[in-house]
Amino acid sequence: MQLMDPNSSNRRRLLAAGLGAVAGGGLASVARSVFAQSSAFQQPFANGERQLVAYPEKRPLIVLTSRPPQLETPFEVFNEGVLTPNDAFFVRYHNAAIPTTVDGATHVIKVGGNAAGRSFQLSLADLKSKFRPVEIVAVNQCSGNSRAFFSPRVTGGQLGNGAMGNARWLGVRLRDVLALAELKDSAKQVTFDGLDNAVLGGGDFVKALNIDHALDADVLIAYQMNGADLPMLNGYPVRLVVPGYYGTYWVKHLSSIEIIDKEFDGFWMKPAYRVPDNDCACIEPGTTPAATRPIGRLTVRSFITSLKDGQRVSASGTTTVRGIAFDGGQGIHEVGVSTDGGQTWYDAVLGQDMGRYSFREFTFPLAPKRAGLYDIRTCAWTRAGVGQPTTAVWQPAGYMRNVIESIKVNAI
Amino acid sequence: MNKETMPLLYFRSTSIAAALSIFTTLAASSPKTIDLPADGAQLRPSSLPGYAKAQANCVICHSAEYMLYQPPNASRAYWEAMTKRMKTVFKAPVDDTDIPVIVDYLAATYGAQKP
Repeated sequence: MQLMDPNSSNRRRLLAAGLGAVAGGGLASVARSVFAQSSAFQQPFANGERQLVAYPEKRPLIVLTSRPPQLETPFEVFNEGVLTPNDAFFVRYHNAAIPTTVDGATHVIKVGGNAAGRSFQLSLADLKSKFRPVEIVAVNQCSGNSRAFFSPRVTGGQLGNGAMGNARWLGVRLRDVLALAELKDSAKQVTFDGLDNAVLGGGDFVKALNIDHALDADVLIAYQMNGADLPMLNGYPVRLVVPGYYGTYWVKHLSSIEIIDKEFDGFWMKPAYRVPDNDCACIEPGTTPAATRPIGRLTVRSFITSLKDGQRVSASGTTTVRGIAFDGGQGIHEVGVSTDGGQTWYDAVLGQDMGRYSFREFTFPLAPKRAGLYDIRTCAWTRAGVGQPTTAVWQPAGYMRNVIESIKVNAI
Repeated sequence: MNKETMPLLYFRSTSIAAALSIFTTLAASSPKTIDLPADGAQLRPSSLPGYAKAQANCVICHSAEYMLYQPPNASRAYWEAMTKRMKTVFKAPVDDTDIPVIVDYLAATYGAQKP
């Protein structure tokens, strides 16, 4: 793309990099944009004053933290379409030493570990040219999406509902890469590390999958989302895509894969990102779980996207209401709709099926017969017959929220 | 693993060929570079001695929204657990004697003990 770039300083930089020179000096011409344009945004919960700021390659997003960047998607974006645009896709980092310059031509993923028979490394060009490309549409949702709606409130990143997104991921199967590593019988887990580092060296963000999960055909090393390179803040040039599982496993800027013979117990696997080890992954507020397990699949959720809480609608006409539903990989079977606060339900119409890991659009007609307040609720059901709970469950880390949402509209 | 079903990908090249290949791919694209905006929030000033300690320690690694946006019920126990985690897990250079001083500041400035 930059082959014919007439910008001489840019070309000097490339030449310097090619000769193995220290990149720092050659980058002097890159401007620093330290003055971010921001505007105020109010989340619908206590202490919810936020700023909207446009980070690199992003439209203005809700800033949860500025360093490292943690950016939430404004909810109206989810009404733009079933796929979440790259420039609106949420951002979640754990440590602030994040890469700000990455060369896709020289980036490599190292593969090895004590349960690998051989070690090797792969470039982006290797991934693109030597493996079968696979495309999958999948939701990436932060474990703590909607944390601020927990009652009683829990500490941690106080997210609204915008730490999720749905994209078409293109990459290669992780298992095709692992097939080259000559896995030993002792292989128990596979760990994933990226270019993002901990500032002072402690608590590097490393995640692990059990070996059988890592060999699942749907787990990808992705180099494109929605037909374009990954934005830097979403993991350029390659990230792990773990369909059906919370975003914590979707390691960005993937640079190291290790097949290991024991359970990995780094901070971000234990004690972080764990849920109560029971059927509901929940406990009574204020209590401590007897046992925990690593967080796993997404719970089933549904949201109305075309109406906001408190919005006015026509009492005389019919309004087509749109929304999205998703789950942890069974696929959405049906979405129930209630306009009377959950007393009576009818079926929404499902939109195009883009795969069992994708947002599934649904629509329904809202035809109020008289003026007044309408409490609209939606409840999605998976193909395994699992629906959303009518009352929210609680857990100390504030993960996996999936209660039936309620929106009140005023028909006039 | 069954070697016969492995994807066929391995290339073995001389070092000269590898160097040329790397040079060619480098010239064909440029690194992606971003410039990040400055922090969007600063620690709340306070006359408590923990304010200076927090400025010297906490914001080495992260911006102040981490404190500012915690829910109104964030307890002293939370601030203490976080301060200790920052030292033990993330290697924040906090003296043990400074931990209660920093916790005093955080608890009084953010969360449940906020005036």
